[in-house]
Amino acid sequence: MFKMIKKSLKTATVTGQYTSDSDNAPPVQCTAEAKRKAKPFRKSLTIREVDTGSCNACEMEMNALTNAVYDIERFGVHIAASPRHADALVVTGPVTVNMESALKDVFKTTPDPKLVIALGDCAINCGVFRDSYSVTGPVDRHVQVDIRIPGCPPKPTDILNVLAELRRS
Amino acid sequence: METLFKKFMAQFEGRVLNVRHCHGIPVANVAKEDLSMMARYIHQDKAMHGTLSLLWAVDHRPCEDRYELLYLFTLRGYQEWMVLTIDLGGEERVFPSITPVIHAAQWYEREIRDMFGLIAQGHPDLRRLVRHEHWPKGTHPLRKTYAWNSVLTREQGEYSFNRIEGEGVFEVAVGPIHAGVIEPGHFRFSVAGEPVMQLEVRHFWKHRGVEKLFEQKLLTAGVPLAERISGDTTVGHALAYCEAVETLLGLEVPLRAKYLRCVFLELERLHNHLGDVGAICNDVAFTLAHAHCGRMKERIMQLNDQLTGSRFLRGIIDVGGMQVDLAPQQFSQLIGELDTIQPDFTELEKILAVNASLKDRLETTGLLKVRTAWDHAALGYVARASGMDRDLRFDRPFAAYNLLPVKVPRYQEGDVRARMQVRIDEIHESMRLIRQIQSDIRPGPIRVEPTTMPQPGDWALSGVEGWRGEILYFVMAGEDGRIHRCKIRDPSFVNWPIIQQAVMGNIIPDFPLINKSFNLSYAGNDL
Repeated sequence: MFKMIKKSLKTATVTGQYTSDSDNAPPVQCTAEAKRKAKPFRKSLTIREVDTGSCNACEMEMNALTNAVYDIERFGVHIAASPRHADALVVTGPVTVNMESALKDVFKTTPDPKLVIALGDCAINCGVFRDSYSVTGPVDRHVQVDIRIPGCPPKPTDILNVLAELRRS
Repeated sequence: METLFKKFMAQFEGRVLNVRHCHGIPVANVAKEDLSMMARYIHQDKAMHGTLSLLWAVDHRPCEDRYELLYLFTLRGYQEWMVLTIDLGGEERVFPSITPVIHAAQWYEREIRDMFGLIAQGHPDLRRLVRHEHWPKGTHPLRKTYAWNSVLTREQGEYSFNRIEGEGVFEVAVGPIHAGVIEPGHFRFSVAGEPVMQLEVRHFWKHRGVEKLFEQKLLTAGVPLAERISGDTTVGHALAYCEAVETLLGLEVPLRAKYLRCVFLELERLHNHLGDVGAICNDVAFTLAHAHCGRMKERIMQLNDQLTGSRFLRGIIDVGGMQVDLAPQQFSQLIGELDTIQPDFTELEKILAVNASLKDRLETTGLLKVRTAWDHAALGYVARASGMDRDLRFDRPFAAYNLLPVKVPRYQEGDVRARMQVRIDEIHESMRLIRQIQSDIRPGPIRVEPTTMPQPGDWALSGVEGWRGEILYFVMAGEDGRIHRCKIRDPSFVNWPIIQQAVMGNIIPDFPLINKSFNLSYAGNDL
């Protein structure tokens, strides 16, 4: 007990030291339309992540958002276990032939109003997998995309910047 | 070296049609009829004790009208490799299955059937694997006659799962989209009461046609694609690809570049293992460890970013050497960071070791027996937690590992706890290796430019011990420095079928935990 108190008194803050380097960050692409759609979710946004064929780096960065350093929950952003509970779908990766119908199903089950965020270069333009026989195209070929976050993968700070911009509307 | 291969040759004198060496690996061409018998000998003979490491096909058209099937075996002690090949000429589409003899061949032969349309005769399970039921009949993407950018049409079809029937038996379907932020895959459990009677893993939802995409590339231009096969193994895949291509091009990479490659491979191992230890604890609701491991992992990722400009260490390895060098002060920064993380982690380790409820959940959960692991030719920490002493860094050193003796942890228990313990030991070992590299590394050039072109048809095999296990690359050169065939084997492809064995008898709520202790890549498996 005393050891723990001593430790916590001696230890400085060990989280919260991420560099936001806003100079190098890609410009946030939030259209007025996207901001209008995001308005109801300004104070609370529940995300469902859907991987349609990414290399799993985007998933790792999404997971990093929930760690003690970025702690996305402090902005009222939650990650839901089911698309039925979600306000926004975050889609990563080019849409593969095998995932195409799953993506459409998920989109249908997500209640309106909803946002679709394409995360990473693959979701936006298929990246290095473009034109392959088993890739059916970027996300916006199948469902309407409201917000695009480029990067391979986008850094957690880039994702945070975009979400902050949406809140600001 | 090659004593075991000589033994094989002595055993089958006169029956082997042709022997050659391809960049140091002995290759024996045999008749189709003899294959099963020889494979059985390699697998079951006490002295050979071989496991099947890779089985793949090559379409030699347009040069020659034949398919070639290649079987890579890792022989006793995991240090010696040998390859058996058989040819299918003209209209032949059937080859003998070795699955009845060697269990590890099961998915490979199904994959070959899907990708090439070659049928393994005698295979117990010839359902589709990569091609889902809606793919049109007769689509075999890796045949040379199939265009890489074809557009697939859709057909109706239904996949039939392995069924257990009887009173009180019911099925639980999970996926392809899961509750967590993870990749898509489908799991079908058959349960009666609590314990799992059977699990069938159905994957390949993310199949992106990577191997076909490689065939459109120049040998020297494949690294960006290799880095995106499985994002968490960026360095492992890039390095394995480069090693294979460098062997083909006859490039001798400068020593400094080799050392740097080891540094980044160990950094990748560190951040993944740190994340895994936390995630395993999180799956039994021990969130303290998850929070601490999460921040330590984040520190390594930020360090990666500061050192190379990429959190995933992308774009730093290239054919012929490195794109990025580390200055002495960067090395000191790296060591300084490790010096602060290691005591933190050691402290956490002590907490983990004495926590009774954690122990209770982790021990004897997801048991993988030594024999089962060997039968399936398990890889990486899964193998090392089940008594298999295999680590390519030690067995067949690549990059600079011949100068860096690696201590390989090994446990016999085969449960979740053992798989976590292997990771914990490897975290300390990786830190030790990085420190040793810092004291050993000398200034020098970090890359050489390729000067020669390989002969079309020449091939090379490379193996790299990524953080998840053994990554294998087979690269065959085509015309004008292009790639004729690139076979990629992420360790996940081998370890996924094993998870089906490890969950047997456990309860479904323990499945996420067992799955996390394997932590396999869906993207690397599906390609």
